[in-house]
Amino acid sequence: MSENTVQYSKRSRERAIKDFLRQFLGHGGAQLGIVCLIFFFVLAAVPNILVGPLQTAINATGDFLAPPSSQHLLGTDEVGRDVLNLVVHGARISLTIALLATVISLIVGTTVGMTSGYFGGWVDVWLMRITDFFFVMPSFVLALVITPVVLEVMGRGGDILGFRPSLFVIIVVIGMTSWAFVARIVRSQTLSLKERTFVDRARVVGSSDFSIMVQHILPNLVPQIAANGALVVSGAIYIETSLSFLGLGDPLQPSWGTLLSLAQRAGAASAGAWWYLGAPGLCALTVALSFVLIGNALDDTFNPRRRVIP
Amino acid sequence: MTEPSRSTALLLNVDGLSVDYKLKGLSSRAIDGVSFALRAGEAVALVGESGSGKTTTAMAIAGLLSPNARVSEGEVRYRGERLPINDDVAMRPHRWSETSVVFQGAMNALNPVHRITKQIAEPCILRLGLSRSEATVRARELLELVGIPADRGAAYPHELSGGMRQRVMIAMALACRPSIVIGDEPTTALDVITQAQILKLFGDLRSKLNLALILITHDLSVVAETCDRVMIMYAGRIVEDGTVADVFAQPKHPYTQLLIESIPNPANGKRMIRPIPGDPPNLVNRPSGCAFHSRCPSAMTVCATEVPSLDEVRRGRVACHLHRPLTQEDKVAIHA
Amino acid sequence: MPDTADILRLESLQVHFPIRGGFFDRVLGRPAGAVRAVDGIDLNVGQGEIVALVGESGSGKTTVGRVITKLAQPTGGRLLFEGRDMTSERGSSTLRPYRRRVQMIFQDAYQALNPRHTVFDIVAEPLRSLRLVENHSQLTERVSEALAAAGLNPSGDFFPRFPHELSGGQRQRVVIAGALAVKPELIVADEPVSMLDVSIRAQILQVLVDLRDKHHMALLFITHDLPLAWLIADRIAVLYLGRLVEIGTADQITFNPRHPYTVALRNATPQIRGDADRSKLPALQGEVPSAARVPKGCRFHPRCPLAFDRCKEEEPPALEVGPQHMSACWLTK
Repeated sequence: MSENTVQYSKRSRERAIKDFLRQFLGHGGAQLGIVCLIFFFVLAAVPNILVGPLQTAINATGDFLAPPSSQHLLGTDEVGRDVLNLVVHGARISLTIALLATVISLIVGTTVGMTSGYFGGWVDVWLMRITDFFFVMPSFVLALVITPVVLEVMGRGGDILGFRPSLFVIIVVIGMTSWAFVARIVRSQTLSLKERTFVDRARVVGSSDFSIMVQHILPNLVPQIAANGALVVSGAIYIETSLSFLGLGDPLQPSWGTLLSLAQRAGAASAGAWWYLGAPGLCALTVALSFVLIGNALDDTFNPRRRVIP
Repeated sequence: MTEPSRSTALLLNVDGLSVDYKLKGLSSRAIDGVSFALRAGEAVALVGESGSGKTTTAMAIAGLLSPNARVSEGEVRYRGERLPINDDVAMRPHRWSETSVVFQGAMNALNPVHRITKQIAEPCILRLGLSRSEATVRARELLELVGIPADRGAAYPHELSGGMRQRVMIAMALACRPSIVIGDEPTTALDVITQAQILKLFGDLRSKLNLALILITHDLSVVAETCDRVMIMYAGRIVEDGTVADVFAQPKHPYTQLLIESIPNPANGKRMIRPIPGDPPNLVNRPSGCAFHSRCPSAMTVCATEVPSLDEVRRGRVACHLHRPLTQEDKVAIHA
Repeated sequence: MPDTADILRLESLQVHFPIRGGFFDRVLGRPAGAVRAVDGIDLNVGQGEIVALVGESGSGKTTVGRVITKLAQPTGGRLLFEGRDMTSERGSSTLRPYRRRVQMIFQDAYQALNPRHTVFDIVAEPLRSLRLVENHSQLTERVSEALAAAGLNPSGDFFPRFPHELSGGQRQRVVIAGALAVKPELIVADEPVSMLDVSIRAQILQVLVDLRDKHHMALLFITHDLPLAWLIADRIAVLYLGRLVEIGTADQITFNPRHPYTVALRNATPQIRGDADRSKLPALQGEVPSAARVPKGCRFHPRCPLAFDRCKEEEPPALEVGPQHMSACWLTK
């Protein structure tokens, strides 16, 4: 064939990515979400530069429960710590927990969903029964039960992979309780992908089941996983905040939930210290909302018409 | 069903029709200066490969162009009156009532949750203003007309075989008593034996109802048995037009010649493959001059620069420089 | 023309798909039926031979292809490759030697190519997974050789392209290149040209015929198109509802069909120039029945214009009607 009727550019992959970005960034929700997230990621990245080291009762600088002023933009807490300082440091803890928990959830969910959908038969039946269990069990309640037990067994001292044990446990528990949603979506996509002829072809040319899953099915799942991953992050933020609020967080590495919990115990609501409750609450809300917006924008961008298969 | 008078009046006159599609800000011409006439009771085939513009031509006539397509030049006259193809609302009385379409995928065009009779009755109620009971009677008549026992109308689409579903599609196309029926690859998804049955049905209906038929297809052999006239399209233009007998016996355009030769035909006994080189052109950057010149074995220098017009020749029309008076320098063969 | 030794042999091959009854059927012990997609087929393909398997949809022709390429498991009969029983071999590592010798070409090339892989990766996949190359330069060499053999020149230009950047004909050539990269001895081609534009079909057929002529590959060509089968094949096997009704040389089947179904199929095939011996038989009525409800006796008898009493009771075996020519019809005796 001497003629190539279809225009061909060497950078077609780059062009596809560029097209995708243009469409994605043109989405109003995505813009808002991204701006918010960039702001919080900057806070989380360099808290010491922005607000100095984390304040404790010992190096607290202000009065007790002082309202916002020029010196303490978000007021102070019951031991005189600057709330702005706490919130900025809390961003780091909250985001880390949420993102790591999401990574665990996506890995488990994708593995279970893909294995279940690809192999079918009894593998599918059993894996899906397990998934159903996690799906119907409110993950928050499960986390609430598991976390104190694990903490009791392991103790609160020392650290695991650089995290205080309580944070590590929260990450794992959130990850382990929020994958069922991902697994369901991945399984249904896998079921339709494995009927595609290119999977038949891969089998005929001798590819193993593992390489078919990794080379052929997984890349075609990426859009779904990305879009739903963003939703999982926002769920993880809520669970983390709630668990910490109920006192399962670590007071030495306070997240936004921990701050809310401390504020509650200090009687901030009855004392009229709205800044103490409002600042971390609003942060958690904004970040969770941003991830939802981004998730929805990703979902729309990956072609709403072809939502079944990218 | 009353027997319509057997007239051969001029129904349709397409004159210099060009249709542009807009896609991502780019405009591409799907058909370019298509002209032909259609008489009542006549069966014409529009033959071409994907992207040849055969479907666009037919959809323009039926008033079913997609929203991003515009008629940019030329006109279509139906019974002497100009059709407002670009005006979606003004086309409504014409659409389906005068020109209807039998589409390829019958399963997609039928609603799976409604019974067949109801789906055929629907256009009768909307278009002909019949009451529900009158429409049901009409639907049963139509089913019998296309060879389905009227009682089968109580079935749902998935309970019918592929051939039966295509018959239902034909019944729906006939519901408003159109004078032109367009078959858009109506048998492509069917098996050979079912295809023969459906093609025979088209022939029977044509003589019974004096329908004009436009058959869109990529399959020349289907044309041979169903149509009177055939128009070959390539890259948005008609390249050859003539009676089926003339075109198949003595194709004039090199593309038609190669196309006919590339169809395996046991009747002429030659087991030989003669590929047409190259790929069909895409419409975004159409080749200069005659769109076929880069694949044509008898291309000359003039073919690369000048678009050949569709000229009347003895028995039919052809758009090829080989059939035009040329100067000596124009005649230099490219593939010498 | 066919050689002495058969490369592939199917012996009473059978593929039944069970119909799972509902809950109540199972509780009440009602027997669940089966879709008899392939119901006892004997077929052989010689080395370097092109055999066409012709049938309508529902005839089981695609399932036969899937059994040979080990994408479907037979429920009965045997699949022999060079005399070796491959019927129950399974698992990607066990099948590796077989896959190296038997490859497949698919009907819809667009569907058969992973949209996220480049042409190079697609053609390299069999070479990598069947471990046929030792290093990257060898891989590149084999890939470009295969692309060139499939008519994609210069092959290097095609390496980084994605399937959606190719035309329909080019995509089918990529599928063919992937199949012949491993230098197989048998290729199963399932309707390889039916999705292509008419002017492209002959190009692809030429590539397939060249594979046989130059590399002595055997080809099982699955199609619904009798004239096309005649054009490309040495022998034609006609399938109806999961069984072979007639098999013979391409000329025998085309010019001297003996089974009423083959005759009907030929008569229904539209032709460009009229054929004098048409319409000896009336055109067939109705359509192929479901493979879940196969008629008793000869499975063609409800539609056969020549059926008589025996056809309703007894299924005819393949009866010899000439050299290499068999027809499963009581009338051919």
